Amino acid sequence: MNRSTLFALFIAITTVGLVVVGTIWPVHTAQAMAGAGYSFNGSSEPQSAVTNLLAEVGSHDWNAAYESLANRSEFSEADFIHDLNGGYPSLRTYATLADFSVQPLHVLEDEGKFRVNLRWSSVVGVFQESRDLRVAKENGRWKVVWPLVAEQRVPPQVIPVNYLRWDVIYRGPGDDWAAQNVESPHVRIIDMRPIDRGNGVSILGEILNEDTVPAFVTVKSTLIGKDKEVLGTEDSFDKISHVLLPKQVSPFRIDFPNVALSQVDSVKMQPSSSLIAASADPVIEIENQKLSGAPHTSLTGELRNESGQIVNIMHVIGTFYDNRGQLLWVGDSYENRALLPNLPAKFSINVPVDIADKVATFRVVTSSYSSTLL
Amino acid sequence: MQRVNTSEFRAVPLSVIFLMAFGIHAPLLLMKLPLKSYDTNFHIFFASHYLHHWFEPWNTKWYAGFSQTTYPPLPQQWVAVLSHVFGLEMAYMAVQFIGILLLALGAYRFARLWVDERSASLAGLAAVFLGAECFLVYSAGQLSTTFAAPLYLNALPYLYEWLRRNDWRALLKGAALSVAAAVAHHATLLFGSLLFAAPVVALAFLDRKSDEEEAASKKGIILRSIVAAGIVGAAIAVVLLPFWIALIKYPVTQVPIPHPSRANYILSPQWGLNYFVVPYGAMIIALPFVVWRGASISRLRPLLLGFWLAFLLGLGGTTPVGRILLGRAFEVLTMERFTYWASLLALPFVGLLAKECIVRFRMAGIATLTIAAVFTCALAVAWSTYKPADAVDFRVDSTAAWLNRDGHDRYRYITLGFGNKISRLAMMTDANSVDGEWNSGRMLPELTEHGGGALTSSKYFGKAGLDALSAILHHADHYGLKWVFVRDPYYEPLLVFAGWRRVDDLEDRTISVWGKEDVPPATPLNAPQIPPAWQGLLWGTLPIGSSILAMLLLLIPARKRQEQRAIQPASSGDELIFGRLAS
Repeated sequence: MNRSTLFALFIAITTVGLVVVGTIWPVHTAQAMAGAGYSFNGSSEPQSAVTNLLAEVGSHDWNAAYESLANRSEFSEADFIHDLNGGYPSLRTYATLADFSVQPLHVLEDEGKFRVNLRWSSVVGVFQESRDLRVAKENGRWKVVWPLVAEQRVPPQVIPVNYLRWDVIYRGPGDDWAAQNVESPHVRIIDMRPIDRGNGVSILGEILNEDTVPAFVTVKSTLIGKDKEVLGTEDSFDKISHVLLPKQVSPFRIDFPNVALSQVDSVKMQPSSSLIAASADPVIEIENQKLSGAPHTSLTGELRNESGQIVNIMHVIGTFYDNRGQLLWVGDSYENRALLPNLPAKFSINVPVDIADKVATFRVVTSSYSSTLL
Repeated sequence: MQRVNTSEFRAVPLSVIFLMAFGIHAPLLLMKLPLKSYDTNFHIFFASHYLHHWFEPWNTKWYAGFSQTTYPPLPQQWVAVLSHVFGLEMAYMAVQFIGILLLALGAYRFARLWVDERSASLAGLAAVFLGAECFLVYSAGQLSTTFAAPLYLNALPYLYEWLRRNDWRALLKGAALSVAAAVAHHATLLFGSLLFAAPVVALAFLDRKSDEEEAASKKGIILRSIVAAGIVGAAIAVVLLPFWIALIKYPVTQVPIPHPSRANYILSPQWGLNYFVVPYGAMIIALPFVVWRGASISRLRPLLLGFWLAFLLGLGGTTPVGRILLGRAFEVLTMERFTYWASLLALPFVGLLAKECIVRFRMAGIATLTIAAVFTCALAVAWSTYKPADAVDFRVDSTAAWLNRDGHDRYRYITLGFGNKISRLAMMTDANSVDGEWNSGRMLPELTEHGGGALTSSKYFGKAGLDALSAILHHADHYGLKWVFVRDPYYEPLLVFAGWRRVDDLEDRTISVWGKEDVPPATPLNAPQIPPAWQGLLWGTLPIGSSILAMLLLLIPARKRQEQRAIQPASSGDELIFGRLAS
């Protein structure tokens, strides 16, 4: 074999070798592109079977994920997709699997059990889900037994609704120049308290719509330092229910990261409101609320949609008070499944452990999003 | 071993190659096909800024202000100049067409360094059909890359001439073209010097004694290499001074943005198709020949090594080479440009293979090569239709008109679900945005800290993209961000819960306009990145001046020499074919 041949073989073999290395041990970027938890081991190991299944779910390769299940004869692929994506349009429908972790609970010779924690990325933030997956060995290959949670369906029915609604006629472009628009609703901050949360300052408060018309409200806050300098201006963003019907109260929380309360001399609050068309529909009933203790302190309960309209996304905001009625915390959560008429759905709002001990009472408000476009 | 007389087969004249390029690419460019690509509108947006503010590189239309000195300006400036005659879109097509013609010429001249006249002419012809070129022009819209590489290919034969024969005219021409290539695209020169220039320097060493009358010494070649590198380096340092200042003062430290060209093409075959099969096309069949022939002939080995390195880097995350050799740059660069460069480096081999096919199989060979070339070109051109940058085409005129009326342009805006239409919108409106498509130019911390790309496509970047969107909406007041144009209802829940209200609908209710109360009008950000006036002056004169100087220098007649002997990788005249492969 001459030098030329050796050189050509060296290039060819090295190239193939590098491709093999890059495929068995892909660089981080390539692994991320191939799926959150790609593993080259196939399903020869029980944990790899779980990991590969979740990687396929992450890349929305539903067919491959469904085909790899041990119990796929028990349900259809559509049922499987609905379990993960939601049967009705919701946050889940367009969420992507940001990452996941797999924790073995027990593994025997031909079966095992794993706890998987899934972190889904949605347009309003990350939500988490935990499931226990059983794996079984079939013909020398490990397969996941999927614990299908069938989503409830709404039976055909007629739901009478009777709710208040406010319509607004604004000044039109052809109106006389002196014509006045309708006045903005009167809103008032009825409670406000800054707290130090270690990595920043949070302004907690409540705002009341004092008017007889609905208001679209936002609260801005400016922190003034000891030398009268502005430390920062933030607004309540999504930590508030922006639409307030007459006499309704919404909590709000405004976060200032990287500011210490000791730096703050005063706080300037700027509530604003504008008149909007609004309705009391959908009416959401909140039931069975209770505060669970450590280690995962949270406020749990059930939401019941008493309207006939499907609510695609529910936002639940909880206000927590101590035994003197002082504001302690404002927390929130988004429900990742659609809220169907008259079918209860559980919710949970995390409460910081240090605050949970002092909570005496709490109050929950909701806001919703429904769309035919999702 | 079969012997064939090749004397009846002549080189393809350059005029025929140019006519081919005209016949294939002129109709496609007249149809403005590149407008459907990913980046074409981005380049036109830059050109639009030069058209209106030639000496002011601070562009307020994106990112609440960014400096265009962060991107070498030559092709965009020429688009701006030609737009006075053709308008911006056709000026872009004209500049792109010049790039295609220069590539055909450059591929021929570069190939001529390595192979005989006939093979080189076929390499030039192959450049017209090159899949990677068509992919970058019609699908990726990479004007700068496809303009810089041909300039560089044309510069290298001059530099070779300088190294071998100490010809100062060749040095001037080669240096001027190299500088023009650098001001067209910095990365091309940076990596090109390793992938393209190093093999040419090695070739000059190997060939130093082939010309008995003008044999060059090793020392002389080394010295002349240093002189050439010094002159080109110094010229680039001066001509692109504002670029270097911006790069040094504000290095790109933002969180890397994922790009599918860094995928493993076996684990993610859809990206393998996109970044390997389509750009290489029928050249994939020629790869074993490239390796075999490159290894067999000693003077082709430097070219083979250059090709191999570019090829491995072009494979993105399929091999660990990119990560190891480029380090963090691997997470910043897009890798399809390496595939393009690998294709260019393979062209001399392709020319050789084509010649041998024609000699051996005559019409059958010509027919096969034609089918392979046309299929490669057609697939890469059609790829922008099979896999368009924007799945749905829509007009942004109404959005621009809405922003331009009733004082709406006193506030900044972003779009959601507009894809790469944001460049076109930015050209049509007077309003400024906090979003944009030039990731390396952005400085707003909300955008640089998360690892997402353009806000308008946030959802495609997963959590990173949505975090960036949320962060910028949090600070809407600070940036005077009052308007959000939504073409994808996916984003509506965030706007609803974050306190934005739907205020209007456009384009038959397919675009909704969302506004936020109490946002103060946008004020110019007093960014330290704003280039001083003298940098604007340099930026407006030196880059385009360097290209004009290159054109003038090319008019200097070449030094008369005795008839140059054709540099043949094998014996001329009667030639061994294919038997070499088996020997």
